[in-house]
Amino acid sequence: MSYAAAETAPVAAGHYQATEVTKTFGSVSVLRGVSLTLRPGRIHTMMGENGAGKSTLFKILSGLLRPTTGELRLDGAPVAFSAPHDAHQRGIYLVPQEPALMPELTVAETMFVGQLPTRAGFPRRVDWPGLRRQAQQALSSLGLAIDVGQLARHLSIAQQQQVECAKALLRGCRIILFDEPTSPLTSHEVERLFGIMRRLRDDGCTLGFISHRMDEVLDISDDISVLRDGALVDTVDRSGFDRVRLLSQMVGREMRVIPRRTASFSTGRPMLQVEGLAHAPRFHDVGFTLHEGEVLGLAGLVGAGRTEIAETIFGIRTPDAGHVRLGGDEITGLAPHAIIRRGLVYVPEDRARHGAILPMTITENITSGLLDRLRQRFGLIDRNDEDRTGAAIVTQYRVRCAGIDQPLRQLSGGNQQKVVFGKWMGLQPRVAILDEPTRGVDVGAKDEIYELIEELAKAGLAILVISSEMEELVRLCDRVLSIYEGRIVAEIEGADITPARVGQSYLSRDGLAA
Amino acid sequence: MADPSNPGRNEVTARRRNAARLPLDGWERSLLVLLVLLVAGLCLSVDGFYPGFAGFLALTENFLPFGLVALGLTTVILTGGIDLSVGATAGLSAIVMAELWSGLHVSIWLAAVVGLLAGGVLGAVNGLIITRLRTEPLIATLATSFIYASIATALAGPSPPAGFPDAFNLIGTGTLIGPIPLQLVLFSVLALLFTLLLQYSTFGRRIVMVGYSSEAARYSGLRIDRIVLSAYVISGVMSAFAGIVLAAYYSAVRPDMGDVLLLSTITIVVLGGVSIFGGEGTIAGVVIAVLLLGFLRQGMLIAGYSDMVTTMLTGAILLGAIAIKNILSGRGTGLAALLTRIRGRRPATTGSAAE
Repeated sequence: MSYAAAETAPVAAGHYQATEVTKTFGSVSVLRGVSLTLRPGRIHTMMGENGAGKSTLFKILSGLLRPTTGELRLDGAPVAFSAPHDAHQRGIYLVPQEPALMPELTVAETMFVGQLPTRAGFPRRVDWPGLRRQAQQALSSLGLAIDVGQLARHLSIAQQQQVECAKALLRGCRIILFDEPTSPLTSHEVERLFGIMRRLRDDGCTLGFISHRMDEVLDISDDISVLRDGALVDTVDRSGFDRVRLLSQMVGREMRVIPRRTASFSTGRPMLQVEGLAHAPRFHDVGFTLHEGEVLGLAGLVGAGRTEIAETIFGIRTPDAGHVRLGGDEITGLAPHAIIRRGLVYVPEDRARHGAILPMTITENITSGLLDRLRQRFGLIDRNDEDRTGAAIVTQYRVRCAGIDQPLRQLSGGNQQKVVFGKWMGLQPRVAILDEPTRGVDVGAKDEIYELIEELAKAGLAILVISSEMEELVRLCDRVLSIYEGRIVAEIEGADITPARVGQSYLSRDGLAA
Repeated sequence: MADPSNPGRNEVTARRRNAARLPLDGWERSLLVLLVLLVAGLCLSVDGFYPGFAGFLALTENFLPFGLVALGLTTVILTGGIDLSVGATAGLSAIVMAELWSGLHVSIWLAAVVGLLAGGVLGAVNGLIITRLRTEPLIATLATSFIYASIATALAGPSPPAGFPDAFNLIGTGTLIGPIPLQLVLFSVLALLFTLLLQYSTFGRRIVMVGYSSEAARYSGLRIDRIVLSAYVISGVMSAFAGIVLAAYYSAVRPDMGDVLLLSTITIVVLGGVSIFGGEGTIAGVVIAVLLLGFLRQGMLIAGYSDMVTTMLTGAILLGAIAIKNILSGRGTGLAALLTRIRGRRPATTGSAAE
């Protein structure tokens, strides 16, 4: 960035500056030359879509990761950390979204892990009264009334975050980074956290913050940096806050007309009917109809309950109430194998854990869903038939590989995903639920996945797409349902599906009214 | 989307199935070389190890029951589980058979069939405890091994039955087509069946999927509980079969006759290249490991070494083999992962990713 050079001169304590920081994992580039400065007495927020690189940046700033290239400067002097501990010693502390306090230790003990205060003498003994006193002081200095004698496992996530803040102060850290702390919190808990953050700011601490939620970002921030695809788009201070502009910067390419498919799904027969589906406490009273050839999107924040809805429809979870009908047949409460047989398939979000078996070969993954349909002799798989099936899918879905017997783990994310698609489409299902279909897929392969989805919809498949990428929803969907805290809060159709409108619709319980 | 710069794709259909899924394909071959060297070495250096072809083959009768248990245990370990009750199951099944024969005067053959069924039931109990009560296989089968062993002791009483009919004892000591021990024939046939079952059938494919990732298998619509249950039933039946063969070999039963089976068979399965975490491994490897450890043990005993020394050597071989395997493969039993962790986890760096 242009102003980076101007700040090489010594600056006041608490200035933390990143210059041209890049980070690559293997061949995937996650951060691309990000430069910004966190300043004392200010709350600096990173905004951006999932995968924009916000968390990676914070991990680098807090010593969890090392930058591939680029430089960090603390008050003008270059710093490099090999572990979070180094960063703590330089006064930098990261409060994770879900702190992992040791559950069987008391709150006071967790705050002093690794540096218990001791009394002089031999053998050196832990100064328990002093430890409790210091822990309690640190918490009260933040206006918190948490009993330091209780076990950490009794704390809520919100309280654990608060303890982490106190821990940062105890370690003398004055630069505190919050990695998306508010997403697991209730609105009341968010207010409390913001109270603490403001107190720290007014005290002269340097604060970094990550959030997707526009309202709270505009409320708490002094500076906002927008990241997109690993690059810094813009940094603005309070005078430059503009909701619409920030949104378009986050989503990007707003001016470009995103190619949208135009399907006439309304003529299609209803394929999947969901009524009053509930699974407390994750989602309540979810109802919608998905038609033949339609692509229906589920938009929402991470944790809004979208994956849980999909898993309940697919039979992984049992609903508390409600009905699911597939082509008119009741499938509520059936197990996955029975639901798959009736023509509904689910491509899970977490490919490595749920979607595929990475050490097995491409062919074995493809045929894993249709073993019963392979030609068999005395229960033995006809390997020629299996190879033909695998090769056919590999060709049809344009999987780039060295051979059909290559272990799936050797393929790129995009090609792995194509194999998973092929595995399910080989069954010729009537309904497909795609959970984050381009997660971990590089930019080039994304377009191929989109084309695949469009082809399948054209052929009559009813598709439910869960996505946290607005561009993806805009490109693919005929209709979008917005989920907020487990409820459908908005339905957007046709030309109304724009990044701004979708992006705003799931940020509050009022849907588009906000 | 045609991509002419990618030559791999057009060859896809032409590619033959290779051993890509088993990066340790060489493991079986190395074991085989080791086996040949061992047997040759023992033949040359130990007097009485090769008393003629018939006598040499007869040596296998001493250790093939371990092989029978290993076949069943491999099935369980491939699913990512473990069966610690194999010894107790073998003992209890053999006692059930013997008591039916001596106490109720049931024909020994019918009693043997009931013994096999009993093994299946004991395995099913293990499987049901694991799948229904969501218990760790290690704990569940440890607990049932105590229970099965106690029931066996109670059933057997102070003087367990002995002196089975000669025709029955032939299962343990008889020969077929000249000098070939009946045990060896049975083991060979079963090893072949298990190879087909585990490596060529849909059932085997499902077992392997569950072993690699039961979560992913569930999302693929597999009925995990059924598959796991059948693996334990198979293990139970094979243990019972081993118990019956032992009974025929000694023409006697003891409630603790299966105790020696457990640790040796786990050693065999692991040495055979089966990953203790499930998914990976072949029956061929296990068969070679059976012969390797069996001949080693017999050779040492014939050469006059005490059981203590042979046991120690077995431990050393197991450790050495697994260490080599892990160093070569970088994965497997998890020791390698531990080693890298000890050496210090390094964050991924640019371009060095081998995959």
